[in-house]
Amino acid sequence: MPRVILTGSIRQHVGGLGAIDVGGDTAAAVVRALETAYPPLRGWVVDERGTLRRHVKLFLHGSAVGLDAALGHDDELHIVAAISGG
Amino acid sequence: MSELLVGTRKGLFVLRKPPGRGGKGGFGIAVRAFPGEVVEFATRDKRSGRYLAGVTHGQFGPHLFYAEDPAGAWQQAEGPAFPASLNAAVERIWVIEPGVADGELWCGVAPAALFRSGDGGKTWALVQALWDVPERAQWNPGAGGMCLNSICPWPGDRNRLAVSISAGGVWLTDDGGKSWRRGVKGLVPRYLPQEARHDTHAHCVHHIERAPQQPATLYMQFHGGVYRSDDAGESWIDIGTDSGLPSDFGFPLAIDVNDPNRAFVIPLSSDMDRVTPGGKVRVYETRDRGGSWRALEEGLPQSQAYLTVLRQAFCSDGASPLGLYFGVQTGELFGSADGGLSWRTIASRLPPVVSMRCA
Repeated sequence: MPRVILTGSIRQHVGGLGAIDVGGDTAAAVVRALETAYPPLRGWVVDERGTLRRHVKLFLHGSAVGLDAALGHDDELHIVAAISGG
Repeated sequence: MSELLVGTRKGLFVLRKPPGRGGKGGFGIAVRAFPGEVVEFATRDKRSGRYLAGVTHGQFGPHLFYAEDPAGAWQQAEGPAFPASLNAAVERIWVIEPGVADGELWCGVAPAALFRSGDGGKTWALVQALWDVPERAQWNPGAGGMCLNSICPWPGDRNRLAVSISAGGVWLTDDGGKSWRRGVKGLVPRYLPQEARHDTHAHCVHHIERAPQQPATLYMQFHGGVYRSDDAGESWIDIGTDSGLPSDFGFPLAIDVNDPNRAFVIPLSSDMDRVTPGGKVRVYETRDRGGSWRALEEGLPQSQAYLTVLRQAFCSDGASPLGLYFGVQTGELFGSADGGLSWRTIASRLPPVVSMRCA
């Protein structure tokens, strides 16, 4: 099962957890499953269209990826707040 | 206890003034919530005592929160959010307004849409009929985004509502939001070429307020123009020309809830400048429904003060004499406890002020 690593500022919406194992074979599926398990997270990572928020980034194996990224059983998906501005 | 809710670029500040406390306006910061986040709007539903705040996180978007005590835990509401089928997303929460029915609240957002809550703000649903008006395709965003910025319930009648959109005009319903019609007759959008003004749907309404003692009376700050309606928003009368205002451009508008003939604006120099004209900070008051305006300036900076006051950053408390308060982009709060006759600086080093409401 993939593991999601959450940036500090949104851990408050998942019970304070920093890492959560959650089922799904794409980043989008994992985020949806995470929202189902933790409803307060809805709207924070993706908006109501399911679009990744502009200043949120996903990283997989050290590279930025989109919601369509495929995830393997042992992958770690990092959800981070982008560094925006100066 | 007097209480002010001040939404800023760096959180919510709750200022309180104990009864009878004197000194520098008497207000002090009692609570700071949402540090580091933009609090676009905060209000208190006086019926329930509940506090509500629209908060935009720099990375994680807009969210609405509620609390029984602003110093305690804030709960995240379910919504406002568009149904997935509409392929739209809330960009910003602009205004939250208690309705007439028990537990009813309204919320205006960008992109311009109205949401309703029937449970005191815990859950929200889109008012679909306003979203579906065919004219929406011809609305245009103003500089602040395409926002539904003002909501005016009709005291005692839950079915009647007026809302304003920048730039999409005034919209009226008599059936609780099931159907809507435009109320823009008389508005002159001078920012458009002469030949384009008649057929436009892009009326840039900055702010409207209803006089609750005489609900058919509304006041409007337009994008170049100040207007009054005597027929519940169906049509509008120019009260900004040759009536004593230094400029008819601006955003803030406040009324005296106890006097339908009395309203207040804070003019800004022009849409290209948007600061207090001539470096003088002046609130303008009418007591004759806009027939004439007079400057209220005692205690306000009268030289070298080029301040910007945003549309939600001016409020009145409904008391007698009337309390008036406004905040500016340079972090100062000004207040008057005597209907604007004299003013005090009640805070001077806050983050840029986005909204201000009397709790």
